[in-house]
Amino acid sequence: MSQANNSRFPAWSPKALLRNRAFLTVAIVILVWIVAGFAKPGFGSYGHLRYLLELAAVIGLVAIGQTYVVIAGGIDLSVGAIVTVSAVGVPLVALSGDGGGAFAVLIILAAATSIGFLNGLGVAYLRIHPMIMTLAMATFLQGVLILIAGGTAISAQNPLLAWLGNARIIGIPAGVLLWAVVSGAALAVLHATPFGARLYALGANPLASALSGINVQATTMAVYAVSGLTAGLAGVLILGMNGQGYVGIGDPYLLASIAAVVLGGTSILGGSGSYAGTIPGAILLVTITALITVVNASAGWRSILFGSLILLLLLLSGRESQRR
Amino acid sequence: MTPQAIIKANGLSKSFFGNPVLQNVSIALEPGRIHALLGENGAGKSTLINLLSGALAPDGGEIEIDGRSHRRLTPSEARRAGIAVVQQELSLTSDLSIAENIGLGAYPRRFGLIDYKALARKAREVCDLVGLEENLSTPVGDLPLGRRQMVEIAKALFRKPRILVLDEPTSSLSAHEAQTLTRLLQRLRQEGTAILYISHRLNEVMRLCEHVTVLKDGKVTADRSLQGVDAAGLVRLMVGRDPGDLFPHWTPSPERQTIVEVAGFSSGLLRDIDLDIKRGEILGLGGLVGQGQEDLLLGLYGALPASARRAVFNNVAGLPSSVSRANALGLAYVPADRKREGLHLIHSIAWNMMLPDFGKARGLSRRDPAAERKLATELADRLSIKGDLTRQVQALSGGNQQKVALAKWMPADPPILLLNDPTRGVDVETKREIYVLLRRFAAQGKAIVLSSSDTPELVHLCDRVAVMREGGIAALLEREQISEEAIVAAAMGAEAAKVAA
Repeated sequence: MSQANNSRFPAWSPKALLRNRAFLTVAIVILVWIVAGFAKPGFGSYGHLRYLLELAAVIGLVAIGQTYVVIAGGIDLSVGAIVTVSAVGVPLVALSGDGGGAFAVLIILAAATSIGFLNGLGVAYLRIHPMIMTLAMATFLQGVLILIAGGTAISAQNPLLAWLGNARIIGIPAGVLLWAVVSGAALAVLHATPFGARLYALGANPLASALSGINVQATTMAVYAVSGLTAGLAGVLILGMNGQGYVGIGDPYLLASIAAVVLGGTSILGGSGSYAGTIPGAILLVTITALITVVNASAGWRSILFGSLILLLLLLSGRESQRR
Repeated sequence: MTPQAIIKANGLSKSFFGNPVLQNVSIALEPGRIHALLGENGAGKSTLINLLSGALAPDGGEIEIDGRSHRRLTPSEARRAGIAVVQQELSLTSDLSIAENIGLGAYPRRFGLIDYKALARKAREVCDLVGLEENLSTPVGDLPLGRRQMVEIAKALFRKPRILVLDEPTSSLSAHEAQTLTRLLQRLRQEGTAILYISHRLNEVMRLCEHVTVLKDGKVTADRSLQGVDAAGLVRLMVGRDPGDLFPHWTPSPERQTIVEVAGFSSGLLRDIDLDIKRGEILGLGGLVGQGQEDLLLGLYGALPASARRAVFNNVAGLPSSVSRANALGLAYVPADRKREGLHLIHSIAWNMMLPDFGKARGLSRRDPAAERKLATELADRLSIKGDLTRQVQALSGGNQQKVALAKWMPADPPILLLNDPTRGVDVETKREIYVLLRRFAAQGKAIVLSSSDTPELVHLCDRVAVMREGGIAALLEREQISEEAIVAAAMGAEAAKVAA
């Protein structure tokens, strides 16, 4: 039996590793870190790398949901707005009896999940294209935020968030630990559960998935809800690190999350990829940003350089492989 | 070979990822001859066509056109040489009209713009040839599959080809359309076109073709005139052994309990039909293409909105409201268009086999990789799917893909199987395997509904045949009444009535 199994399921080979996009992205990150470490004093210090990881944690959290959604054949353009909702919302729902601050966080996470769920509802039942649905949702949320918060920054008095943003456990920032734990769970769900398999099914062929007995609507709603939840989590973390939230705080994370997903080798067409690639993708992204700030140029030129570098990296790490 | 061949391939070889698909294959197409290309799925027929049309470059060998030899033929060189291919996978753009599709890539120009008048005129000419009477501005997406196939053929003719390659042109055609095609090909032959004809329907080949090349495992096993060869002889050439009976011996199953009963059932095209499906039988659905066979299957399966006055499925009253509900009631559906509806081409064979279970299992439960591998290996062994199960399904031949589409339902052991043309584009050997499998299922007491465009299949395999016509059941034939004549007569009844009206 094991003999037969071996021929049916070839053993793992080192060659396969070279075609693994997650592994390749990790390799690029390590290479960039080594080169930058030599080229620029202080880059390779533990403190600096730790700082990069803290920044990557926020992008990484947003990108969990984005990876799920993209694998399932959609896209979520509302993640930036949900991050802002969460960062601005926690101080607003602060209640007098909520001494530890956990209650406010839970309320906001539930709200973020519900927003994602609404996205899913629109995509699954009203059959609105994901791009339109989530973009409309983002615009709607932006309007609500302006009405509620206006142009002022809102400070949070939340002990839980303060701890999340500043504490270190054996030298590792709590935010990075949070990212690590949630990432582990996200990877397990994606690769070791039927729900994860359904995402790959949906992204590759929704029609065949439906005819195979997969509940396409329920899965779609669930995946956008997950995206709302992880974006909400990222917002909470930013608020903890920043101390205050303001309208627009989440905006950079929309493009960053999509870039991290694609840099990590997940096909934008859906059906293939893994969060295992998105993790180094997020780290690569903040590393490039950090390197570019060193260049003595105006913000405009830095932005141009950043965009060009992302394109270059995508070309280097293999274009979208041929699909039918 | 013969000096007057228009196109000649000498010793072509081609490998994909180190697997030799064609080895030292030679073929010569002569003007005014219909040349059959036979072989099981995966024998290399499609690859050979792709080499001849320049879509792929050979690893070895050469292609000679009018005496000039090419190491590598580009698609535009092939087009200029007058090669036109009618693909098995339709290559039409569904949003464009019939005329636009026909002219695509070769639009007549006037002052640099498309000359729609000339296009319409020329398109009309070729449409008349293939018997397409539809308005030429109809979007192709609105046509049934059989008509689209005719558009595809018209598109090839539009280029006035000297060499016409047809890859299974009749698999989605009705009997009437197939006849039109036969007449057309005979006319083209007289006009001196060289025709390469690929089909799994041996009767057609026997009737139409003069010469045959047989491929088996990428090698030519026969290249000869069809004079004095019979159908059994052809099958022997293809599978390399005696064919035996294509169809297994029919024996009635002991169990004949009714498992599905619907009355006043409407869905899609279907209006108010009554039907019961029994355990231990294969119920055939015949008729012309697109008379509501698919709507019936999809309606029963909960994939298409349906209504019924009375419905009982497996002792439960009511129609299944969703596919998951239908699965829970013991129904499984194997679609006709396996690439679009049945399979996840970019995922592995083993993964595809597990899919219904992924849909059914608790979403956040743990998958058991060892059990999945074991089950996939068992299924592959049972259906004789060979090789590495981690390959993408799109790497498989049509027959093997169909086996995967069937295999994925077997772990659930559903008592009611709805099959939509399961042998379309499947080679003889795999067809036989599927037939044996279906009769075995019936003997085990499963109920099978088999929609088929292949009439012999209905005659030899089914216990009862419901002939569909315009969204209704035109005739329900019992075993002793089933014959090709009876099925065709019932299917055509509508056309006669229409003429009368």
